[in-house]
Amino acid sequence: MAFWTLYKREVNSYFFSTIAYLVLFASAVTVGCYFSLTFNAMLEKDFRQYTVLQGSVIGFFFWLMLIIQVPLVTMRSFSEEFKMGTIEMLLTAPVREWEVVLAKYFGALTFFCVLWLPLLADVLAVHFASGGKIVILWPATAVTFAGIALFGIFYVAIGIFTSALTKNQIIASILSFSFIFLGFSLGFVSYLSQAESIKNALGYFSGIEQMDSFARGLLDSRPVVFYTSGAAFFLFLTQRLLQARRNKA
Amino acid sequence: MIDVANLSKSYAGFRAVQNISFHVNRGEIVGFLGPNGAGKSTTMKILAGYLPPTDGKVSVAGHNVVTESLEVRKRIGYMPENVPLYTDMRVDEFLRFRARLKQVPKGRIRERMETVKKQCGLKDMERKIIGTLSKGYRQRVGLADAMIHEPDLLILDEPTIGLDPHQIRQVRELIRDMGKRHTILLSTHILSEVEMTCNRVLIINHGKIEASDTPANLVKLVRGGGVVQIEVRAAAADVVAKVGKLDEVDRAEVIEEGEWPRIKVYGKPGVDTRDAVYALIKREGWNLRELTRVKATLEEAFVEITQD
Repeated sequence: MAFWTLYKREVNSYFFSTIAYLVLFASAVTVGCYFSLTFNAMLEKDFRQYTVLQGSVIGFFFWLMLIIQVPLVTMRSFSEEFKMGTIEMLLTAPVREWEVVLAKYFGALTFFCVLWLPLLADVLAVHFASGGKIVILWPATAVTFAGIALFGIFYVAIGIFTSALTKNQIIASILSFSFIFLGFSLGFVSYLSQAESIKNALGYFSGIEQMDSFARGLLDSRPVVFYTSGAAFFLFLTQRLLQARRNKA
Repeated sequence: MIDVANLSKSYAGFRAVQNISFHVNRGEIVGFLGPNGAGKSTTMKILAGYLPPTDGKVSVAGHNVVTESLEVRKRIGYMPENVPLYTDMRVDEFLRFRARLKQVPKGRIRERMETVKKQCGLKDMERKIIGTLSKGYRQRVGLADAMIHEPDLLILDEPTIGLDPHQIRQVRELIRDMGKRHTILLSTHILSEVEMTCNRVLIINHGKIEASDTPANLVKLVRGGGVVQIEVRAAAADVVAKVGKLDEVDRAEVIEEGEWPRIKVYGKPGVDTRDAVYALIKREGWNLRELTRVKATLEEAFVEITQD
C-alpha cells in the first residue's frame, strides 16, 4: 500500500534534516527547564494540590510550545513539494491524493509526539531519582499525554492544511501559528466575558480549560470528538486543495 | 498506445492547447517539438495524469486519463521538466522508494534497481545524496525513476536540457536503447537529437499540431527538390542566368562572388537538378570545382513550419 511507503519516507525525512534535531533539542531543554522549575517551586512551598506534571502542562508554557512546535513541524510538508516541483513527480506515480495527505499528516503527527517524549522522560527521571518516593499517578499521566496527543491531532491537521495553501514555508508557518494562537486566546475571551452563557460556551472551546481537565486525569469525550472531527475536516480540505491545485498548476 | 482526440486545455482565460488530436503506436519513438510556450509540457502533463484536460478525450494504453488515472499512471514513466527529485535522499533510497510507490513486486525491486542503475550509469553513485549530484546525474536518476517499473510508455519532457555534449550523447543512446522495449514520447529543442532517435515527429505551435511525420518526410516537405551548390569558373551573373533558365530549376542565387563564384540552385519541388546542372556546365565548358547537394535539416523544417 502506497500509504506506508509514503509514511516511512515522511518520518525518515524528518530525521534526515538538521532542523528536526534542533527542534527536538530545543523542546527537550525547554520542557526540562520548565519541569524542574515547577518541581522546585512546588517543593519549596510544599505544594501538594497538583502533581508536577499537572503543574507543567496547565500554564502558558504548554501553549508556547504548541504555538512554536506545530508550525515548525508542518510548514515544510506540502510547501516544499510545491516549491521544488516534486509534487508533480509524486502525483504522477500511482498514488491517491488522500494517501499522500494522510502520509504527510501521520508523519508530522509522529514527529510531534516524539517531541513530547522528553516530558515523559522527565516524569520517569524524577520518579526513579527519588527512589520511588515520588510516585507517578499512571492514569492521570496517561490522560495528560493523551490530551497532548489530542491537541497534536487537531493542530497538526491545521498545519498540514496551511502548508498545502502556499509554496512559501514562512507563510504556511505564520498561518498555522495564527490558528493555534486563536485556539489559545479563546480561553482568555471566556474569562473576560460577563455573560454566563457566553462564558460557558467559549469555555467548551478553550484549550486551556481542556488541558486543565486532562491534567487532572479527566478524559472528557467532548473535546475528543471536537478535535478528531476537526482534524478530519481539515484533512478533507487539504485533499480537495490538492485536487484543485492540479487545475491551476 | 496514446490516443488524443480533440484535446483542449485552458488556464484562467488562456488556451494552452487547442483541439489537438494525435495518435502514437506501440513501439514508436515520437519527438514532440515546438517553440517555448507552444503547449508541449501541458500536453505531456495531461498524458501523465497530472493535469486534467479541459475538453477532449485522452487515453493511454487503453485507459482514460481522467476516469482511470491510476491505471494510466501505473503504465507510464514520466520525467517532468527540470527533473524534480527529493534532494535529501540517497540514489538507492530514492529508487527503492519510487519502486515501492509504483508497485514493483517486493521480490523484484532489487533486480529492477540494479538494471536501471546499470542502464543509466548510476552504479558508482548509488550511495550519493541526490542533492550533491551534478545536473547530468540527476537527469539520469530521473530517467532511472521513469523506467523502474518497466512502464509501457515513457514520457520525457526535455530529457537533455542543461546537459553537456557528452551527457547528451549518453542520454540519446540510452533513449535509443530504451526505444527497443518501450514506447517513448519525448520533447526537446535539440533537433539533431530528434533526427537521430525518433521514428516520428509531432510539431506543435500555438497549441495546435502543425505537422506529424517522419523526420525525413518533414524535411522533404519543406524543400521539395533539394538544393545543389556549385562552384564554377565563370561570370557569376552569367551562371545564374543560364542555370535559372533550366526547366528543372526554380531559381539560382550567388552566395559568394570571386574567380570561382559559389552558386546555390533551388530545384522545383520533387526534382533532382544535379543531372541538368551538370549537363549545362559541360555544354558551356565551365571549369567545375564542386557540385554538392545541400541536405535540408530538420531545423529548417521546424523553423518553416512554426514561423508565424
